[in-house]
Amino acid sequence: MEGLLAFWAESGLANFTSGQLLMMGVGALLLFLAIAKGFEPLLLLPIGFGAILANIPNGGFTDEGGLLWYVYHVGIETGVFPLLIFMGVGALTDFGALIANPKMLLLGAAAQFGIFATLIGAIALNLVPGFEFSMQDAAAIAIIGGADGPTAIFLASKLAPELLGAIAVAAYSYMALVPIIQPPIMKLLTTESERQIKMEQLREVGKREKIIFPLMVLGLTILFLPAATPLVGMFCLGNLMRESGVVDRLSNTAQNELINIVTIFLGLAVGSKLSADKFLQVETLGILILGAVAFGIGTATGVLMAKLMCKLSGGKINPLIGAAGVSAVPMAARVVNKVGLQSNQHNFLLMHAMGPNVAGVLGSAVAAGVLLAVLG
Amino acid sequence: MTSIFQQISDALGIMVLGMGLVFVFLSILIVGVKLVAKWGAPVVCAKPSTAAAPQQVPNHGNNMEPQLLAAITAAIHQYRNRAQA
Repeated sequence: MEGLLAFWAESGLANFTSGQLLMMGVGALLLFLAIAKGFEPLLLLPIGFGAILANIPNGGFTDEGGLLWYVYHVGIETGVFPLLIFMGVGALTDFGALIANPKMLLLGAAAQFGIFATLIGAIALNLVPGFEFSMQDAAAIAIIGGADGPTAIFLASKLAPELLGAIAVAAYSYMALVPIIQPPIMKLLTTESERQIKMEQLREVGKREKIIFPLMVLGLTILFLPAATPLVGMFCLGNLMRESGVVDRLSNTAQNELINIVTIFLGLAVGSKLSADKFLQVETLGILILGAVAFGIGTATGVLMAKLMCKLSGGKINPLIGAAGVSAVPMAARVVNKVGLQSNQHNFLLMHAMGPNVAGVLGSAVAAGVLLAVLG
Repeated sequence: MTSIFQQISDALGIMVLGMGLVFVFLSILIVGVKLVAKWGAPVVCAKPSTAAAPQQVPNHGNNMEPQLLAAITAAIHQYRNRAQA
């Protein structure tokens, strides 16, 4: 009988708290979104499962010495996982569209306004009782507006590790929701005739230009923003491996096996931060709201900048492509293409939107560097 | 309460600084990319060469030098003889 009682005392049934059950429900919801709805499945599936594992009573996954504890400390606290992902993203990125039309970098810059506007919003939220965000917390939340998962995780792990779970979940959720969040904003800020604008075909880009580009980006970062070199440096390394053409094996590994392995552990580690005691707080709600605001403002300023460039260029730029300035590669570019096709069935904007899209990745890395340099 | 407004004004400062830096950084990059394009754009030369290539091929076919034609014929002849042997 004593044995049975001891067994009962150790069982999940006897030890569940309502918070843990709720967080397991959140984990299950993430799994549902990943499997049934196809929202960012590569990340939401491991994050959802990690959330379930982290909330098992007496499971010990997140206690010191547990698997998730190790994964988190080795990969996220040190900032290694997001940087390895960034190298893979660099190896996957073709800057051809951006090099062919470098003005698109301005759109990638404009869309970062969402980040900095949300910084003010997060601080202003302190006026509401129950919220107490420091400037570091606010910066880590604001970077959600950069719509770049690895950048958000990297910055949050440096500035506000206690908010990391909520920030990562918000960042990836909103990236998955790009096709729902962006089109209404894009349509609100543009006219039908603007959406129909066809853009000139892009010129071809030489191999030499593509090789020099990552080196130039790295050089500029070294000179002006050394705080951003971990992110930009790994990104440029991946891109140089791709474009140089002499290390195809390394490039293939970075954009396939390595990024896949790291993604599994990154997802699990982020999921491990979704334990009930850390996630079920009023701050989480604030982070989710601020993330959506950041995303919306970034989209809007990107479109407005593109409108300005359209006016200045005499109607040669379709303002829709400005929305792709918020990174979220390549989802945002696909959304631009889709909205463009709704107005004109023969207008394919995908390649034109890839320029601002990859510019957004650089822009958010630079913005993260600025925030790290000022607040880190 | 005043400290929050102080923080908001700090955040405003970071916003101006941050957006300024992002724009300056990416604008310098635009200039850099344009310079590299001027210096190292192989595309301009590549286009005429691809356009010219198809014109040259039939010319070669029609007006092949007699010596070259003889050499190729002899080589084929020799190869066939060797294959039969």
